[in-house]
Amino acid sequence: MKVVYKKKLENFSLDVNFEIPETGITVLFGPSGSGKSSLLNFIAGLDENNLVEEAYCKFKGKILNDSGKAIKIKPWHRNIGYVFQDHRLFPNMTVRKNIEYGYKRRKGNLDTDLVIEKFKIKSLLNQYPEQLSGGEKQRVAMVRALMSRPDLLILDEPLAALDYQSRQELLPYIECIHQELTIPLIYVSHDIKEVLRLADYIIVIDQGNVLDKGDIEELCIKQPLMTQSEGASFILKGTVTQVFDDEGLVEINTGNQKLLVTDSDLKLQQPVRVLIYAREVSLCLSPPENSSILNCVPVEIESIENEVNGKLRVEAIMDKQRIVAMISKRSVSELELKKGCKAFAQFKATAMIK
Amino acid sequence: MDLSPIYVTVKLASLTTIILLIIGTPLAWWLSQTNSKLKILIESVVALPLVLPPTVLGFYLLIALSPDGFIGTLWSYVSDSSLSFSFTGLVIGSVIYSMPFVVQPLQASFEMVGKPLQQAAYTLGANRFDTFRSVVLPLSVRGFLVAITLGFAHTVGEFGVVLMIGGNIPDVTQVLSIVIYDHVEALEYSQAQSYSIGLILFSFIVLFITYSLNKKLMVRL
Repeated sequence: MKVVYKKKLENFSLDVNFEIPETGITVLFGPSGSGKSSLLNFIAGLDENNLVEEAYCKFKGKILNDSGKAIKIKPWHRNIGYVFQDHRLFPNMTVRKNIEYGYKRRKGNLDTDLVIEKFKIKSLLNQYPEQLSGGEKQRVAMVRALMSRPDLLILDEPLAALDYQSRQELLPYIECIHQELTIPLIYVSHDIKEVLRLADYIIVIDQGNVLDKGDIEELCIKQPLMTQSEGASFILKGTVTQVFDDEGLVEINTGNQKLLVTDSDLKLQQPVRVLIYAREVSLCLSPPENSSILNCVPVEIESIENEVNGKLRVEAIMDKQRIVAMISKRSVSELELKKGCKAFAQFKATAMIK
Repeated sequence: MDLSPIYVTVKLASLTTIILLIIGTPLAWWLSQTNSKLKILIESVVALPLVLPPTVLGFYLLIALSPDGFIGTLWSYVSDSSLSFSFTGLVIGSVIYSMPFVVQPLQASFEMVGKPLQQAAYTLGANRFDTFRSVVLPLSVRGFLVAITLGFAHTVGEFGVVLMIGGNIPDVTQVLSIVIYDHVEALEYSQAQSYSIGLILFSFIVLFITYSLNKKLMVRL
């Protein structure tokens, strides 16, 4: 999908030009009021024409906007589903009528029973929106959008208005859309935990500009904005190969290395992401004996850079995946670490995301 | 008691209300959606009858409806009959006079439904008209109820404009409010009394039914 959009907003100008994959979950990440919602409305065809300087949008080979040729496909002809921050269910219709609304108006294949079952809304079908809890409303809103069988689903901070508990309950449903229904998603969020859990591809937006874009692993390492308060971090990808229920541990295979991570919710063969904070990683030249730290993997040092407060940022390669460690200057000189050195990285097995 | 004034009044109010719904609905919809600079101008014109004395409105309507007047000239292309002191003229006058009582509640209820729900409907594949029909209209039932009641009741209670442009022709333009005035002028208090009490009862019942319906609808929506 290619998007070019230049528009004057109240306090700043939106000026973006990017391409994103047409599969998987793309997250638009950025602080509130950075222009994310305006951008979503543009993609969905809901934006106002005034103050637009340039607009181009192409999805699956079809041109949706081209200001140069005065093309602007109406939102009802776009086949782009939208889950809003506020659920926007029709208050005068039951849940059943709400989810039938888009289903009746568009064509396409969808196992409606499967969706109703997956989202567990069967018992809600005859209720009115005002009778539902916040989390239920958003679940119904997602089903309603899915029922219109969109080629792309936009979710504008669908969890922002919900409490922590409801958020945790809803995240798996969003993953389900992506994994089982294979509909590409554009997901907007300013919550880093959601981003790390869901994103395949990230676009970082601030003040109407694209600050950065790329795959989650790439961006996590270089973009301090993402995990600002926690410092640098990195992600390791793998699959669950063993579950030790009594110890609350799972073994994750990242290719050639096996990591032990504390988590009890994971199932065998599940693909997972492990988030590790660079400040929790230590380096040593030989594998330590009798350590309480479970994970110790061989790495090859790739670069050493200065950071603030006398810390050095060491990047190393482990099993084709990149890791980052924040080490003091003294440790680096005492261990004589430099580019190309073989070493061992130790980290705690607590930092875990799904 | 002569029932013809009642008949003329109900016929006038019904026709006026129906015409106002036909004209007023798209007008109120446009007003609720537009960003046009014309909006405030049109809103002000629609609201004029609220503040003008009925005699002023009646006076200019009388001129406009006369064979040489603006509306009268247009009418001469359609029909040979004259508009002044006719039932048709009365309907035209009532439509203008009662316009704000229909357009304003409709506009307010359309605005209440708001853009967000319309946008949701668009993304679900409904075009503008479909969205209006399937989302906005059902959510504006209360606005329509208020508009119909106020439009009808206000036309029933009209006096000044009718007196100026309709005259006082029995069976044709003689409505209840005028008959009551006539009887009072002739010191026939008992006749005036029976019409007046009837009108009070009728108005009360209409408002009572409207408000109870309104409450029921409020519970459901």
